[in-house]
Amino acid sequence: MWLRALMNRVRALWQAEAINHEIDEELQFHIEMCTEENIRRGMTPAEAEQDARRRFGHLTRIKELGYEVRGGGWLESFWQDIRYGVRMLLRKPGFTFVAVLTLALGIGANTAIFSMVNAVLLRPLPFREPERIMTLWENNLKDGIERDDVSPANFLDWRERSSSVFEEMAFANPNSLDYLGGGEPETWQAALVSEGFFRILGASALYGRTFLPEEYHAGRNSVVVLSYGLWQRRFGGDPAIINQKLVLDNQPMTVVGVMPPEFKLNLFEREKVLWAPQVLSEDLRQQRRATYLKVLARLKPAVSPEQARAEMDGIALRLAAEYPQTNAGVGVTTLPLNEQMTGQVRPALLVLLGAVMLVLLIACANVANLLLARGSERERELAVRAALGAARSRLVRQLLTESLLLALLGCASGLLLSAWVSGLVVKLSPDNIPRIEQAGLDQATLIFVSGISFLTALVFGVVPALRFSKPDLNHCLKETGRVDGGGRSRHRLRSTLVVAEIALALVLLIGAGLLLRSFVSLLRVDPGFAADKVVALQVFIWDRYATPEQRAAYAEQALEKLKTVPGVETAGITTALPFLESSADTSVPFTIEGRPAPAAGAEPTVFYSVATADYFAAVGVPLLRGRLFNQHDRMDTPAVVLINETMRRRYWPDEDPTGKKINVRGGQRGQRGPSVFEIVGVVGDVRHQRLDEESRAEFFRPHAQSPNGSIIFAVRTAVDPAALIPTLKARLWEVNRTQPIYAVATGEALISDSLKARRFSLLLLGSFAVLALVLAVIGIYGVMSFATRQRTHEIGIRMALGATPRHVLRLVIGQGMWLALVGIALGLVAAFALTRVMSSLLYGVSATDPLTYASLSLVLGGVALAACYLPARRATRVDPLVALRYE
Amino acid sequence: MVKQKPDLPQGTLDMLVLKALSLGAMHGYGVGQRIRQLAEDMLKVEEGTLYPALYRIEQRGWIESEWGTSENNRRARFYKLTRKGRKRLVVEESHWEHLSAAVAKVMQAT
Repeated sequence: MWLRALMNRVRALWQAEAINHEIDEELQFHIEMCTEENIRRGMTPAEAEQDARRRFGHLTRIKELGYEVRGGGWLESFWQDIRYGVRMLLRKPGFTFVAVLTLALGIGANTAIFSMVNAVLLRPLPFREPERIMTLWENNLKDGIERDDVSPANFLDWRERSSSVFEEMAFANPNSLDYLGGGEPETWQAALVSEGFFRILGASALYGRTFLPEEYHAGRNSVVVLSYGLWQRRFGGDPAIINQKLVLDNQPMTVVGVMPPEFKLNLFEREKVLWAPQVLSEDLRQQRRATYLKVLARLKPAVSPEQARAEMDGIALRLAAEYPQTNAGVGVTTLPLNEQMTGQVRPALLVLLGAVMLVLLIACANVANLLLARGSERERELAVRAALGAARSRLVRQLLTESLLLALLGCASGLLLSAWVSGLVVKLSPDNIPRIEQAGLDQATLIFVSGISFLTALVFGVVPALRFSKPDLNHCLKETGRVDGGGRSRHRLRSTLVVAEIALALVLLIGAGLLLRSFVSLLRVDPGFAADKVVALQVFIWDRYATPEQRAAYAEQALEKLKTVPGVETAGITTALPFLESSADTSVPFTIEGRPAPAAGAEPTVFYSVATADYFAAVGVPLLRGRLFNQHDRMDTPAVVLINETMRRRYWPDEDPTGKKINVRGGQRGQRGPSVFEIVGVVGDVRHQRLDEESRAEFFRPHAQSPNGSIIFAVRTAVDPAALIPTLKARLWEVNRTQPIYAVATGEALISDSLKARRFSLLLLGSFAVLALVLAVIGIYGVMSFATRQRTHEIGIRMALGATPRHVLRLVIGQGMWLALVGIALGLVAAFALTRVMSSLLYGVSATDPLTYASLSLVLGGVALAACYLPARRATRVDPLVALRYE
Repeated sequence: MVKQKPDLPQGTLDMLVLKALSLGAMHGYGVGQRIRQLAEDMLKVEEGTLYPALYRIEQRGWIESEWGTSENNRRARFYKLTRKGRKRLVVEESHWEHLSAAVAKVMQAT
């Protein structure tokens, strides 16, 4: 039956005319019948009709009633509601402004964060059936390595043996190519891919094409595909680039295609701008130890990721048995591509989403309170309307319409706010959040915003609407004009809302506070080296300097030049600079001479880099024992190494390691040379990648004994490092005009970058916490303000009976603080339960740190006190005479 | 003989309309006629109250209406009792009997 009523109303939307017409016709029939009867009785036709009409009495009113019953008219009354609502809102601009602002803040913040979460986590990746794409990694769980790159020989075996679960498998081999075509020489990050790579992703070129099968073979592989970004930046977005030749690494390569802008994989540390085909040479096929490939695979239809995982685990076990020297303990980690790309940021983003929803709840509570307070004032008006015959449903509809209006205004302002905020947030976000630049107003976000606006209208509108649509007519109309606060139950409701707000605000404050303390702790961590006066310049010289002698010569020349720059104190070379992402990150197994050797494949592994003697001085790493490298350590003298404190502590806890020997097998890819090294000294620890990770065991070989192709100049300056950068670059180019400088950074910038993600989370969560605090304060102020206004009469009596201003003050503040205390207590309990969710984001502080909890509670209490104080003071100014007379 | 026809309370009118329609679907004019006939002219429902009653009852779902052709081939809106209406009629009838019996008892007291 209500369905029919609904359908009637829908029909009525465009058939209002028809309905009226029908009613007319129906009544006309009746009139005609009456008229005929009258004529039969002997009246004249004119009289007959007149009499018939007269019998109806108020014809128009009957028609109106019929019209309304048949479905028409609801639109008009809705429109009436809206107009009335608008008038009401305009009449109290202060209230409207605060309510809309509160909603705008809540909805705006939510929209901004949701659009981010949507762009990064929810939207499917821009590849074909992305949930069927898996990434594969080598792991060594015994050594605590979960995701390591893959070696070519392993890749080939995996591919061959997994055809039951994967329809295709391919890899991407990170590489870099130098481009000298004009201006400064540049090094571009490239990925050499195997056949099937683009097919697995289902990606095709925007212009041109990707690679043909024959181009994966030697002789035909001088082709490249450009990324959209590179194409725009360096080649002006000109489609004519297709089929042109670029000289890369001194080889002419033909550009055959340009990828679309969405083609971005978060597999590599650095974004790739070039793709080229990888030729699988014999040498490559034999490499089983050196791990450097990123592997992708596509599941066969009807195969689940778990099945694939199980299959790969089996394959890994068999390989470990077949090749114990290299594959013992090596397993396979199989991850969906989605997980790989977003897994890291997911927890933080979800925490943010949760936090921002809390803010929205607080905003709703505030607006509900405001509406309740105002509703009390309107009670008389509503009582009169009810007495005049308005149905309760009509009143409820009226009030809900007003709430809806508020929600719409809040939504519109919120959208504007979020558009502005989104832009800001994206600019400040760290680099490793994929696709964040795509955050914006898309379909999903708009649906989300409409949804929550609607819900908030319901949430904060329903309660006041229900309360006030049933006004107690007697009560309201009897009171001689006095507006009543609405009695104890209403006050209790308002108080409950305020208590809830305070609790929520405290939860957010504590969350932000914990993050802040983590951040501060991190800042205080000693990275182990003096980062403030260091500049790093990284070059890859393999191509231009093929032999160790050439490399040593280049290095020496370059260091000389760099040291002559005024302002430079000293300069050294390393292959792994702390916090420089593009540093080499090599680890090798080793054994200690004179100790029983562990089983093959069970040797401990340590990190390994190459450095010159001055490197340690340049970055400020202290020498703790023994000596540094000196000019006697050369190619023809015994091989020596320096170890760091962590390595010493782990393997020589009670003895002096200097003079001891270690045996390193294989080492770097394709490295020949000695494998027994003598330890000549111990240097201090540095953190390499993140401030919050432990320093790792590592040893250093002198550059003179192992001149490397991937080197970083570490330059210590006496003056501001950034200012010297152009000069330093120029000096390097004096040594070789065609040698591109891959990366330049100051030590400070490197450390700061490593903290970018944390800083971002902190900023966001902190803003929410502040927002929540502001809203909670407004809430308390509003409620106390209103309550004291209602009690003016009572306060006047008290004062007339002898209460001093101080008594009144204590009374009002006491009540307010009671609310605050309850809220704080609840908030503490909630925070205790909820903050363990974010424990993975914390550093140096536990999720239940008492100091943070206590101090923030005090802050909130203090702010609440201030918020109560103003209304309290206003209460003391009440003139008892006026109050008593005030009715 | 009662010259003035008494005013009907609203609830009672509704019941009469339902009863009239329980004897068969009818247009508005016909409902008025039928009530007058059944009441043997002791009662006449004014148009001014009949149609509001019909519309009110229709809104509550006890009757439904649709277009039809009258006996003299004219287009008229016909009303018919719904299942809910039938149930409602039974309820109203029992209430009425109870009420009138009670009133009669009181009035019989001497």
